[in-house]
Amino acid sequence: GMAGGLEPDLAALRDLSGPAALSVLLALVAVAVTFLIWRFVQGRRSSRKAVLLLGLCDAGKTLLFARLVSGKYRDTQTSITDSSATYRLSRDKSTNVTLIDLPGHESLRLQFLERFKAAARAIVFVVDSVAFQREVKDVAEFLYQVLVDGTVLRHAPALLIACNKQDVTMAKSAKLIQQQLEKELNTLRVTRSAAPTTLDSSGGPAQLGKKGKDFDFSQLPMKVEFVECSARGSKGEEGDADLEGLEKWLMKVA
Amino acid sequence: MLDFFTIFSKGGLVLWCFQGVRGPAATAPVNALIRSVLLQERGGNNSFTHEALTLKYKLDNQFELVFVVGFQKILTLTYVDKLIDDVHKEFRDKYRNEFQQKGALGLLNGTFDFKDDFMRLLRDAEESSKVRAPTVMKTFEQSLKSQKTVKCMIETRGEKPKEKVKNKKNKGSKKEAGTEAVAAPSKASVGDKQLSAAGEKEELTKDEILQKNREEFFRRHMKAGEKSRSPKPDAQKEKGKKPRVWDLGNSNAKVLDYSNSATNGSAEAGPVEEFDPDMALGDKNREPGRLYDLEYESDDEAEEKVVQNPSKPSTKKGGLGGMFGMLKGLVGSKSLTREDMDPVLEKMKDHLIAKNVAAEIAVQLCESVAKKLEGKVMGTFTTVTSTVKQALQEALVQILQPQRRVDVLRDVMDAQRHRRPYVVTFCGVNGVGKSTNLAKISFWLIENGFSVLIAACDTFRAGAVEQLRTHTRRLNALHPPESHGGRTMVQLYEKGYGKDAAGIAMEAISYARNQGFDVVLVDTAGRMQDNAPLMTALAKLIAVNAPDLVLFVGEALVGNEAVDQLVKFNKALADHSMAQTPRLIDGIVLTKFDTIDDKVGAAISMTYITSKPIVFVGTGQTYCDLRSLNAKAVVAALMKA
Repeated sequence: GMAGGLEPDLAALRDLSGPAALSVLLALVAVAVTFLIWRFVQGRRSSRKAVLLLGLCDAGKTLLFARLVSGKYRDTQTSITDSSATYRLSRDKSTNVTLIDLPGHESLRLQFLERFKAAARAIVFVVDSVAFQREVKDVAEFLYQVLVDGTVLRHAPALLIACNKQDVTMAKSAKLIQQQLEKELNTLRVTRSAAPTTLDSSGGPAQLGKKGKDFDFSQLPMKVEFVECSARGSKGEEGDADLEGLEKWLMKVA
Repeated sequence: MLDFFTIFSKGGLVLWCFQGVRGPAATAPVNALIRSVLLQERGGNNSFTHEALTLKYKLDNQFELVFVVGFQKILTLTYVDKLIDDVHKEFRDKYRNEFQQKGALGLLNGTFDFKDDFMRLLRDAEESSKVRAPTVMKTFEQSLKSQKTVKCMIETRGEKPKEKVKNKKNKGSKKEAGTEAVAAPSKASVGDKQLSAAGEKEELTKDEILQKNREEFFRRHMKAGEKSRSPKPDAQKEKGKKPRVWDLGNSNAKVLDYSNSATNGSAEAGPVEEFDPDMALGDKNREPGRLYDLEYESDDEAEEKVVQNPSKPSTKKGGLGGMFGMLKGLVGSKSLTREDMDPVLEKMKDHLIAKNVAAEIAVQLCESVAKKLEGKVMGTFTTVTSTVKQALQEALVQILQPQRRVDVLRDVMDAQRHRRPYVVTFCGVNGVGKSTNLAKISFWLIENGFSVLIAACDTFRAGAVEQLRTHTRRLNALHPPESHGGRTMVQLYEKGYGKDAAGIAMEAISYARNQGFDVVLVDTAGRMQDNAPLMTALAKLIAVNAPDLVLFVGEALVGNEAVDQLVKFNKALADHSMAQTPRLIDGIVLTKFDTIDDKVGAAISMTYITSKPIVFVGTGQTYCDLRSLNAKAVVAALMKA
């Protein structure tokens, strides 16, 4: 019945003459090559076009995101998921980057970092300059986790530490923040590597900076810069945000 | 009446906000809601109280929006749920375009002028709640009672009362019977019994009842005459009271004394046993002296069985409709409904419980995941099962992520700088491994160059102090003072047994401060969470000494008990503390982790209840068996089939 029906077709296939068989083979190869090229291009295109906004809770990432993308002031709440939008660099209309605002809450931040770190061309680490003195250990811990991540070390995206909330008088300067972070990261190197290994002992954390010398941001494989900014802006909700340094850096990096 | 109503996206942008008459700013309570409910996967029920406000919320998972309404706790507004649903529907329909744009641009650029619509919906909701006025009470003329004549309600003896409750009748008859019957009280009880038995069928008049009772009474007396003769022979028997003779008790004390025969060492007095060496040793082919491994079946067969079962119910879906649904689901643009998710969630819940997660926590987790996924549009080529599994996995990782920093060494360094010892207290129920893990942690601290003082505040358990002394000796042997610049790295502070634990702890801390120890590890006695006086004593120890870290030691084998233990421990600590913000459990040490293969659910139960991180994991009894928690590995073990 059915098997008998297939038999003549199979026989016909086998009896294909040389050129016909060759053309079939060529068609298959062409399809495969197109597929590979398409995957390669897509991978190239989507990889590393994103600028991530990281930081602790209440650092001002979502407001910064809103200001950069639309220029307007918006009220914000604690983010529980990521938001992404394309950011057009003002002068050069053709290039644009994807700004991704990730939640800063402790239970979510590492998960979202996992998801987006491969696509990161640059990282903006937002720091609350007013609460910095109180939060320095938490800031340093998160920064440490970002810096020792394998993917981040491999791609070495440009890192900008944005000291936000400069419109408040008590805000610390970028220089002070840099010094404190370096000191704290220096201590963290020692304590983190001495922590008990995890259950499946997937190797210890990578070494940060150079051994033997005090930690310095210049020891990192990526370029690190510090910039002061204010997402709210000195004139409050009506006025513009004070994001010059940040925008200049974005243009450099894009 | 409402304090506020906000609509914001899950990414954090507030789209629209309504401030009530006297409401304070909405940000703080809403942030508290987000952090305690949504991020901790407690999204089962949709209301939350924060200070003086009650917050109700609704999630729109399709467009990633959150609707929150806040009102005063003392008010009970019935229209709130309906209002949220109406607002949700209207808002979503009105601004559908903005939401469907890719990314956040639509949200950022759109103006959400919703005030008029909202006021209208609010007015409608308030109206609908007022419409149902409280029911007016019936007037007397309308009630049934007025239709009864007065005559029928008078209770006269001998007449049959209409529509009287059986009980009332019985009571009345009992009273009458009691006053009349002077003789044995049995008469009244007989009368009652008779009455209750016959009450349903006939309505006996009182006279008839009395007649019956009298007959009974006389009948009894006839019998009683016969009965009265039987006590006489008893009385005769009583005169000669003989001692009772037991069958086996004829012998005297000497014969009952078996003490000589079984003394240690004397072999002659014991009875000769019939010793069958073959039966005792069992296996004839064993090599003498060798210890065999535990034999067990491989897990592959068990896994195969488990995998086969879930596939069976899925094949039940038949018919054309089912196929279309499946195809539509594969292509995408199918939004998840509760009915789709329920069977999968049931299975996941049973799976979690099988992995030793406490039952109520598994239920709450599944509820929360259902809330998060309801209405969400699935991507292409994803099935309901995979979406739910993915969401559950993310939720579990989220729970295991610590909400505060877990870096003991860093904090010890801080305390070192301030020249005060860092105090850690271990508490837990009996037998979980407090002393063993205390020794492991002190080994780890010594390896990192900190000197440790162990305070033996377990003054109850026999051998507790000796156990710690042995550990101290071993640790000092492993790290002698010579290799650490001449100072003893670990020392034991003990005051024997029976003393007050809180007092010993205080003395130990001041001793450590004087001698310059970096860390003080306080070992307490194990206690059951139900034992109120012991829980008070523990709470007092912690309140008085204000340790830097309170660690709850729990074993990984515990199942549903974990919930009870942690809740009661936290409650006891909160109740007995004088301070404004009481010291609760700061971290968890999960012990005996090597005894569970992949039934790692206890980790989830404990972190869910307390929202505090698991600081250490104990995986054995040697000093090196101390690990940190790897959230991803634990979740992978949990989700494995």
